[in-house]
Amino acid sequence: MGPSDLFAPAVHVAVDDVHVHYRTPSTDAALRRGMPRWQRGLNRVVGREPTAVVRALAGVSLVARAGDAVGIVGLNGSGKSTLLRVIAGLETPHRGQVRARSMPILLGVNAAMLPELSGEQNVRLGCLAMGMTPAEADAAYPVALEVAGIGSSIHRPMKTYSSGMGARLKFAIATAADPQILLIDEALATGDAAFRERSEERMDLLRKSAGCVFLVSHAAKTIEETCTRAIWLHRGHVVIDGPAFDVAQMYRWWAWNLAKGETATAASLLKDACEQGADTRVVFSPADEFSAPPRHARA
Amino acid sequence: MSTTTTDAVAPTRSTRTEVIDGATLGPVTRRPALSDYFSLVWGRRHFIFADARARMLSGTRGTLLGTAWLVLRPVLDAAVYLVVFGLVLHASRGIENFLGYLVIGTFMFQFTIRCLNAGAQSLISGKALMKSFAFPRAALPITAVLREVLSYGPVLCAMVVLVLVLPPGPVLSWRWLLVPGVLVLQVVFCFGLALLVARPTARVPDLQHVITFVSRFWFYGSAVFFSFDRFIELPTILRVIELNPMFQVLDITRDCLLYGVTPQVSSWLVLAAWAVGTASLGFVFFWRGEERYGSL
Repeated sequence: MGPSDLFAPAVHVAVDDVHVHYRTPSTDAALRRGMPRWQRGLNRVVGREPTAVVRALAGVSLVARAGDAVGIVGLNGSGKSTLLRVIAGLETPHRGQVRARSMPILLGVNAAMLPELSGEQNVRLGCLAMGMTPAEADAAYPVALEVAGIGSSIHRPMKTYSSGMGARLKFAIATAADPQILLIDEALATGDAAFRERSEERMDLLRKSAGCVFLVSHAAKTIEETCTRAIWLHRGHVVIDGPAFDVAQMYRWWAWNLAKGETATAASLLKDACEQGADTRVVFSPADEFSAPPRHARA
Repeated sequence: MSTTTTDAVAPTRSTRTEVIDGATLGPVTRRPALSDYFSLVWGRRHFIFADARARMLSGTRGTLLGTAWLVLRPVLDAAVYLVVFGLVLHASRGIENFLGYLVIGTFMFQFTIRCLNAGAQSLISGKALMKSFAFPRAALPITAVLREVLSYGPVLCAMVVLVLVLPPGPVLSWRWLLVPGVLVLQVVFCFGLALLVARPTARVPDLQHVITFVSRFWFYGSAVFFSFDRFIELPTILRVIELNPMFQVLDITRDCLLYGVTPQVSSWLVLAAWAVGTASLGFVFFWRGEERYGSL
């Protein structure tokens, strides 16, 4: 796309060459062998494991416009959830930047909030955490209660909830803020059929009101059914970014081959997909006043 | 995942350039200017209050006596020091109304220690909230201290009752009205303390253990259960001790509540300087790390 589509829908989210890596403990024996002897000894004494650098995102760029429902597919550990957290502004990328028209709201799986508190208190606290006034939070409560649809369980502590009930409540809280940009991390997978339908309705509503939705799932079928566009992530790279149906089909075929042990076929499928895909380069105009040099160079 | 070795970038990929009007989009993670950050935190005051209250109510669940421990703990501490230092080592010699002296020392010092520990823990225990919502992270240590303030109300009442009841009893005077002033300064100081320790402890959790040790030194250096006047003759060392903010908190409170003595202006100045200095330094220090708390 270029300057020709002046009438394209408004851009909601622009992700520009985002890199994220983590240092994590690793029990990999090869890592241990590679270390100097003194360090191995020290690690043994303090009971620490060697650390490995995991590149969660290695240069991801994408643009999401009004009315987009962007599905993100990929294997476990391909960087899907990290990408959502970065878009939500909960994590700062080591390189690159994310810009958005309004504050995105993330609905995550492990958003346990405060398990000791009742669902009702969690709704209120969540609303206040997103910056609502007490009056707005009170007004949002009946809506959230209706979206969650968990009846009188709302008065029980959240730690007594089943995972499906927890997901419903989180979804209700996230939509209570009426966000223009909603990020959903695998939450739909745990709900039952009735809840799924209701949340899909809610997502459609959001898209029609010129918002945009991101949905992460490793179930390509969910993406195919609910999204307009899909992005396949593999090891922190974008493989392909295109219409939901096509991308989800390619991904499913590849993942099926992988699961069946057809590694050669899978590898060639991935290669094909890569060749079909394109890299996105994001250019901000006018020249960016926000762009910062890479963080490690600043210190 | 070891089945495929090709990394996703193939040489034949085309590049699609998207030109975006940067003026309509704002960055999602950027450390706001200090003044904006302050008003952001202020904007979340309702959240901070609701969170502190909710955590206060849920915090003592799981023990039989619940909130009663908040009062029992310093009372039992005081009893230990009474036996060891008062009866065995005679540290009480020369201290007028030793029981009241001890009660004020243990109760007031415990508050600061609880704030310090809660502040150090705040980012670690707030991980789930940080992963769900984008709010200014300073809300977490502030909430931690506020929670201690809320739960300390009844404890302070218990302290005053004990001071009144324990023999030989305090000197009642207008100076009792000065006590809220000390408390305010102590709370401001604690806010700063929590903000200061939250950031490094989140990076290096080992600091929690270090803090325990440092606070023990601090405890012995604040004249909680003995008086320095008896042990130290050199006036310069005494001056150094008087720079300790917790020593001043305890000293001023005892002067007002127990002895009916008007505290010196210099004591107030030292304490106020500590409170304002620590709070501002803590806020700026915490703010400078704002972008990184999410990736802990």
